[in-house]
Amino acid sequence: MNKQGQKRGPWREVWRRLKQNKAAMVGLAIILILVFSAIFADFIAPYGYDDQDLKARLQGPSMQHFLGTDNFGRDILSRIIYGSRVSLQVGFIAVGIAIAVGGTLGAISGYYGKRLDNVIMRLMDVLLAIPGILLAISIVAALGSGLQNVMIAVGIGSIPGYARIVRSSVLTIREQEFIEAARAVGASDFRIITKHIIPNALAPIIVQSTLGVAGAILSAAGLSFIGLGFQPPTPEWGAMLSTGRNFIRDHWHMTAFPGLAIMITIFGLNLLGDGLRDALDPRLKN
Amino acid sequence: MIKNKKILVLLSLVLVFSLFVVGCGKTEDTPGTDQPADKAPEVRDTLIVGQGADAKILDPHATNDQPSSRVMKQIYETLITQNEQMELEPGLAVSWEKVDDLTFEFKLRQGVKFHNGEEFKASDVKFTLLRAVESPTIGHIVGAIDPESIEIIDDYTIRISTKNPFAPLLAHLAHGASSMLNEKAVAEGGDDYGQNPVGTGPFKLYEWKSGDSIELVRFEDFHGAQPKIERIIMRNIPEGTNRAIELETGAIDIAFDIAPTDVNRIDENKELTLVRDPNLSTAYIGFNAAKKPYDDVRVRQAINYAIDMDSIIEAVYLGIGEPAIGPLGANVWASHRGLTPYGFDVDKAKELMKEAGLEDGFKTTIWTNENQQRMDIAEIVQNQLKAINIETEVKVLEWGSYLDGTAAGEHDMFILGWTTVTGDPDYGLYPLFHSEQYGSAGNRTFWSTPRSDELLTLGRTTADPEKRKEYYMEAQEIIRDEAPWVFTWNGENVSGTRNNVRGFMQHPAGHHKLFTVYFE
Repeated sequence: MNKQGQKRGPWREVWRRLKQNKAAMVGLAIILILVFSAIFADFIAPYGYDDQDLKARLQGPSMQHFLGTDNFGRDILSRIIYGSRVSLQVGFIAVGIAIAVGGTLGAISGYYGKRLDNVIMRLMDVLLAIPGILLAISIVAALGSGLQNVMIAVGIGSIPGYARIVRSSVLTIREQEFIEAARAVGASDFRIITKHIIPNALAPIIVQSTLGVAGAILSAAGLSFIGLGFQPPTPEWGAMLSTGRNFIRDHWHMTAFPGLAIMITIFGLNLLGDGLRDALDPRLKN
Repeated sequence: MIKNKKILVLLSLVLVFSLFVVGCGKTEDTPGTDQPADKAPEVRDTLIVGQGADAKILDPHATNDQPSSRVMKQIYETLITQNEQMELEPGLAVSWEKVDDLTFEFKLRQGVKFHNGEEFKASDVKFTLLRAVESPTIGHIVGAIDPESIEIIDDYTIRISTKNPFAPLLAHLAHGASSMLNEKAVAEGGDDYGQNPVGTGPFKLYEWKSGDSIELVRFEDFHGAQPKIERIIMRNIPEGTNRAIELETGAIDIAFDIAPTDVNRIDENKELTLVRDPNLSTAYIGFNAAKKPYDDVRVRQAINYAIDMDSIIEAVYLGIGEPAIGPLGANVWASHRGLTPYGFDVDKAKELMKEAGLEDGFKTTIWTNENQQRMDIAEIVQNQLKAINIETEVKVLEWGSYLDGTAAGEHDMFILGWTTVTGDPDYGLYPLFHSEQYGSAGNRTFWSTPRSDELLTLGRTTADPEKRKEYYMEAQEIIRDEAPWVFTWNGENVSGTRNNVRGFMQHPAGHHKLFTVYFE
């Protein structure tokens, strides 16, 4: 009981500090709205994402279509709403893959050190040496396009970041007395890592992953912009931008709105991530 | 708080910047060439042309793609040429006559020089045709010629025979693939000949910046009328919108293949002229008839009924070209203009699906390459086929794997086009519908019937035009009823030129002469 109380304490403190940060709350609100629209897309979108109406093509914003229609007469607002599903999925799952793999590798690397550390981290260096988007492009090119493969591609690209963060946290934590104490009472390595080290290394991971989701969404949009992402008629924001590009000189709304959707999402995630960083930083305690 | 504001500003900047970075990924432009926009009055002697892809290779026997043909048209010549009305005209041969059912005799032009200084003679013709027949890429175009029978009478007279009677022979000799080469130049060029082409045409290659531009310079010893322009630069500008913008800003003088979305803008621009002519291309959606359920004619017909082709054409091509009613466009000889289109009739489609026992539909794929219009068509077709319970996945493939996959018969439905370069129905039907042409030769639907096979063979081996026409009419009716294709679209060549460009005429086959162009 006592242990639980202690655990809840610091997080409540973090939440208190986060609440004071207006920018972070704006970010959080944006993300919540997005999550909401992704979950309830079927109820709030005025049209289906593949409801073509070839007679109502390329219409500007109007009362029937708040954000206009695209070159097949599909409602852009609805496609953006459904698109939030795709983007959030890619963002969270890609980062999930990266945390799972990168975190494990980082923890092993930091905890055991020596040669294992060297081997793993040099592998990570190899991955880091390849520009992220290039790596993603080659993975998608090899595996084929589609939602799953894009998630994997973007995820793999961000593995090294998490591996490094976790490793460095583990390095500092493992020398502390309470780890020594745990070891002294005979706890297994697995138990020490999962019960004692990881919870204490959580703060930087949270910050990095919030920002990472933004990066992943952007990479996925970039991939589908160059035609490597999703199969039509998936309403992906980057793909919508890419289609709109052909019409940009006459029909600005086709690129402007998906572009704004991407921008606002990334903006929200970055604000939140930034607020979290401040809130989780013990040096900024007041 | 202050810190937060700073971060906010910084973040927004980074955001906007990163959007630009992602956004510009593909549209990034090659830096403009040296010609500033409006340095007007002096008469220009360099013509700059923008097209959608770089040439692959400048060896007429090694490729049959449009961007390469467009460059080679200025460098090489053929024995016979087809003018913009598709009429045969003397080229390197001044006259020809029929000796018997299999043989033609050609009198060659005298005093013609190749770019390397060699004189053009009958031996070059023989060498060229023997080399062409061996080519895996274009061998089929001259495949009717019997290599054994090419007979040099003297330096300026040659006889060419075919193995069987082959009515469209002259048109095939006017195809770019039959361009005349010089034996010495080919031998000297070796493996690099395609980068160092030697022809008899009015322009020769000056410099090739791979992927960027090809510069041609006037050949001073050309046997015909000297072109007024001295240089031609053919720039590779893949994005349609970019080509239009380059033309508007005056960085190029002629832009080939104006995208449907840019047509109005060019047309309304007072400094520019839009040139539109019907071409010889047909776009189609094909079925793999070797595969279930497309082996059933009722399924193929049902899909024909289920697709609202007129709206698709309107939405995708925006009024350029016209809906196709048959496998041949209107300007191909013996094209059947009386075929009844299937029309858009979902009820009929459902009925046919029911008859075929597929009222619950099926899952399928539709293949296309990265051509914007084809991808658009695929996406609309995908949507429209839902009405008869067909669930379609659109597969966009890179050009090479697209051709390989469809040649191997791995596909279900596919969208492709064909240009009847020779203007003769044989070229537009035989490779696409004859059972001997399955796969990479052209028949990617793997459809044929004994009767249509017979008609197509008769059509190419019969000399009498009236008879040929009859055969082709019947063949086209069979193709319409058997529905291996959904006839889609007959294209148009759409180019834009600056107003000071004169003498530019489009060729229906797409490889436009540039040596007649001059500036005012």
